[in-house]
Amino acid sequence: MSVKMTRRKRFAAMGLGLALLAGLLSGCTGESGKETIRFTFSKREAIGFMTKLVADYNASQDHTEVVLDTSGVDVVSASFVRGNPPDIALANYNMETSRFVQRGVLSDLSGAEAASRIRDDLKPLMDQYGSYPGRTSALPYSVMASSVIYNKEIFAANNIAVPKTWSELIGACEKLKAAGVTPFYATWKDDWTIAQGWFDYSVGGQVDSLGFFKELEAEGVDVGPESSVSFQKDFDQPVQKMLTLARSYVNKDAASRAYGDGNLAFSQGKAAMYLQGPWAFSEIAKTAPGLSLGTFPLPMTEDPQDLRVRVNVDLAAWIPEASKHKDAARDFLEYLYRPEVIDAYNESQLGFTPTKDSSNKPDPRIEGMVEYYNNARVYQGPSVLVPRTIPIMNYTQAIVFGAPPASTLRTLDADWARLAFRQ
Amino acid sequence: MSIITRPTTSVGQPHKQRSRRRVEPIFYVFLVPSLILFTLAITIPGIIGIFFSFTNSIGIGDWDFVGLTNYVAIFSDPAILQSYLFTFGFSIVTVIAVNAVAFLLAVGLTSRIRMKSALRTIFVIPMVVSGIIIAYVFNFLFSNSLPSLGAAAGIPWLESSLLANPDLAWVAIVLVTAWQAVPGALLIYIAGLVAVPGDVYEAAEIDGASKFQQLLKITLPLVSGYVVINIILGFKGFLNAYDIIVGLTNGGPGTSTRSIAMTVIAGFNGGDYAYQMANATIFFVVAIVISLVQLSLTRGRNAL
Repeated sequence: MSVKMTRRKRFAAMGLGLALLAGLLSGCTGESGKETIRFTFSKREAIGFMTKLVADYNASQDHTEVVLDTSGVDVVSASFVRGNPPDIALANYNMETSRFVQRGVLSDLSGAEAASRIRDDLKPLMDQYGSYPGRTSALPYSVMASSVIYNKEIFAANNIAVPKTWSELIGACEKLKAAGVTPFYATWKDDWTIAQGWFDYSVGGQVDSLGFFKELEAEGVDVGPESSVSFQKDFDQPVQKMLTLARSYVNKDAASRAYGDGNLAFSQGKAAMYLQGPWAFSEIAKTAPGLSLGTFPLPMTEDPQDLRVRVNVDLAAWIPEASKHKDAARDFLEYLYRPEVIDAYNESQLGFTPTKDSSNKPDPRIEGMVEYYNNARVYQGPSVLVPRTIPIMNYTQAIVFGAPPASTLRTLDADWARLAFRQ
Repeated sequence: MSIITRPTTSVGQPHKQRSRRRVEPIFYVFLVPSLILFTLAITIPGIIGIFFSFTNSIGIGDWDFVGLTNYVAIFSDPAILQSYLFTFGFSIVTVIAVNAVAFLLAVGLTSRIRMKSALRTIFVIPMVVSGIIIAYVFNFLFSNSLPSLGAAAGIPWLESSLLANPDLAWVAIVLVTAWQAVPGALLIYIAGLVAVPGDVYEAAEIDGASKFQQLLKITLPLVSGYVVINIILGFKGFLNAYDIIVGLTNGGPGTSTRSIAMTVIAGFNGGDYAYQMANATIFFVVAIVISLVQLSLTRGRNAL
């Protein structure tokens, strides 16, 4: 009798276990006939925010169940290869994502209501990464602007105003140096910090990157000393100016400092300026929550009209062609773009909302960039517009470590021409 | 193995062969699972990869045939040529360093010294730690500990990180790779040294050979087979160098320490699948040539 009981119990337990397992594996499909869509989102700083947003959406209606997938962009590439991509994604818009666009694996979103509310001046920025004929493959969701982060307390203590021209910048650096303050904190051990900040700000502050890359694209295999535009010609002067700053006005141990070291040192007031994006604010705030910080575009010329801030489409929304739940994904997309939702997201991440009807109130730390963003005085960093197969981050690092800029820029031209030759 | 089996099959008495044939199926059963796995996981993807090296595919979506374009581009690509130069140079230096250190350590650890087994254990520890962890630990030492030591002791050349020096970063990579690879070679040398009979040393001692002469004239020739094994295994491993470089320099400063494996993988992440597949195909051919050379060099060495 007792044996039978335990056996029955054992079966029951096994059945229960299997049911649980099945539930886990299928992510609660079939239950009450809800359609399940997989939503890829891997911006680490905002996963908490997005988890709550998805829960709110799932509770707000009863036809779709959104499952958040935070496994990252490499996994997404692999899922396209397997023919099993996510149903919708919010992902960093860069050369990596643009591959999906160019090879036509993303569906057309031009009919979506959200698409009509996107600011028109952002379209050229999106198209800089390439497009697929006849499609709006991705919609910007969060735009990040970055420029010089400066320590307001140090600036005030040394009686320095925000510089608007190159000579004012040099003047400020000299003043800081004379007062025993390191002007810039540099973290050259991480090559991306050079590419993102030092290189992009210097070049973007002087070269019209939209026009430059358009012509570079047209020159293709002919890029070189004879072409109408080239890295060796157009980037030479900005890079020289970058080196002027890099040689005289940085911390002594810049070469062996990494991004994490920089955030800590800057929060401790060890330097007056820091060439980083808004993502560094939350890291700095971990050690110095009350530190008064501001931002200004790096002046590279003598004309304040040339001042521009670097932007990047930190998040863009897209729906793969291979998704089997495109309609449900569209519904969720529209929810994501509701003014209160998209504004709340961008406010939480210090981003700029790309919709026309945004009523976003910027954080004081990024106030210095608002007028530039609103007047479309922006550029996308050249380091992210060069295809990833060209190791431009490594090249910029080589330059600040002393490699002759002329030959490195020539290599860049040769790489560009070679890539054009085989594509 | 082949030396033993060849005569029996060629001499081949009929009844003996039949009895062999009856046992054969079980050997096939042993082989089949690995054969299937090898075909599925290595041969087929390899052939697919070679196929795509003649296209402009990025791994997904639309693609076209481009013929030999990728191969033509590779031979004029300084970044790829440099990665080959770096990888081979690094492998040769590391093989020499690892074997010299491991051999001397093994001689020391097989001689009559105190705490022999404790010391052996200590020297083998680096082998069980994963490469990427070792790399990050050394990364910290090179960029933080050593510079601050240099600053405190007033040694100017120590103040800047070895990893930030484009001309010397490879030395750091050799050091760390050797640190991890020495124990494996050490174990093989210990096994070889233990197998050398003691009476040859006695004879040498009676003939008046010094310790150093014994090492050079007796020990080294008697373990030469192990030296060859270590060099082949080591060289093969170092050609695929990846994890330690990623953790230490990530190919930098600039592009001075990018290995072939790193270049290939950077292509996957950078949407350059077909191009790097062509690179991988060339690397595959180079690896085959090297193995053939090594095979012909080691053939007939019974010491193995």
